[in-house]
This record gives sequence, C-alpha cells and structure tokens, in this order.
Amino acid sequence: MKEFVMLFRNAPTGENRPTPEIMQEFAKKWDNWLGGIAAQGKFVSGSRLGSEGKILKPGNVVTDGPYAEVKEILGGFISVKAESLEDAFAMTPGCPILLLGGYVEVRPIIPNNV
Amino acid sequence: MKEFIMVFRNAPMGGFTPTPEQIQAVDKQWGDWFATIIAQGKHGGGYRPGPDGKTAKPENVVTDGPYAEVKEILMGVSVLKVETIDEALEIAKGCPILQAGGTVEVRPVIFMN
Repeated sequence: MKEFVMLFRNAPTGENRPTPEIMQEFAKKWDNWLGGIAAQGKFVSGSRLGSEGKILKPGNVVTDGPYAEVKEILGGFISVKAESLEDAFAMTPGCPILLLGGYVEVRPIIPNNV
Repeated sequence: MKEFIMVFRNAPMGGFTPTPEQIQAVDKQWGDWFATIIAQGKHGGGYRPGPDGKTAKPENVVTDGPYAEVKEILMGVSVLKVETIDEALEIAKGCPILQAGGTVEVRPVIFMN
C-alpha cells in the first residue's frame, strides 16, 4: 500500500459565515465521508486548518491573513492508503467540499521524508 | 503544545530539470533546516507530495496534473509543535524554499477526531 495526500481547497468565504445549522450539517457530511474511508482501513491521518494564518515570502516579507488576495485557500488535508493514484482518487466522490464549489487534489506522498 | 502547519509552495519548474549536484545541495539545505527543528523537539512530521496528481472538482470534473494552469504548486507540508504562530513563523524564516522564490504559509491545526 502506498500513501496519498488529499488537499481540500475552497474559495475564502469572507464575511459570509454559514449558519450553525449548516455547519452542523456539513460536519456530519465530513464525518460520514471520512468514516467511510476509515471503515475500509484506508484513513491514515488528517488535519483541519484554522482560518487565520501568515505567509512568509522571500526577503522576510510577511503577510497576515492572506485570504483577501487569493482565489482559494487550503482548508485541510488527509493522508490515505491506496494501491494507486486511481484507487486514492476513487475515494473522492462524496467529499463534502465538492458540494461547496471546492475541490480535492490527490497527490502521491514521496516516502522516507523527514 | 499546539500544532501549526507550514505549507511550502513554489512556481512549477516547467521544463527545467536541476542537475544532480543542484538537487543534492538543496536536499542538504532542507536536511540541515529540519535537523535544527528536530533538535528542538518541535518537528511533528510532514509530507512531500510527488509532482503528479489528480484533482476532483464539482460536477464530476477531473483534471490530471493540474500544474500547467496554476501559478504555484504545493511542494510539501510540515507540522510544528510550538505554542504560537509567531514562534512557527520564526522557524519558517530558515526554510530553503524562500531562497528559491517560494513561500511558506503558516496555519494553526484544528484537531480532528
């Protein structure tokens, strides 16, 4: 089994905050989708990222909360076990971010990294 | 201890292929930098994705190796075990990608169950 990373990206929502009901509904959709991967023994680990952040550019230039100037932000990522890129990609249907206009990028992990 | 993530991005190299010496020199820079983070007990693992990939978009749209159409690609992610985002940012300042025109995005991790 190889490992693959799935990156979840979406457009910044800006001031447009979803209602608590919608957030709860989507939390459940994520649980169901991730639970399905875990039930097959293919879930390795995952991180959800907070919306605040800083970007460091060459020459020690730091920008805060860079999201006004970008079209999409990384919301989180998981790593999964699969035999091939195709097999890993076959897990993407049902990912709730696709219902919100976002997308899932699947990439192989180069092993033996620190 | 909290966790923060560093996201390393750079422009796609296109047709440029570095020499083995260049690859070795850059690997050493990364190895040295990670060694200082590990020595402080602040390294929390990471991934280096390969350059190939496949992207799922809404309405069943699939793109292969999406990198011709993007300005920068994600080269890797690395977790830091530190207390504040400013501490993470100080560590990020030593990242070799900054010498190659790339960027480091520092973000807090929200734990998933």
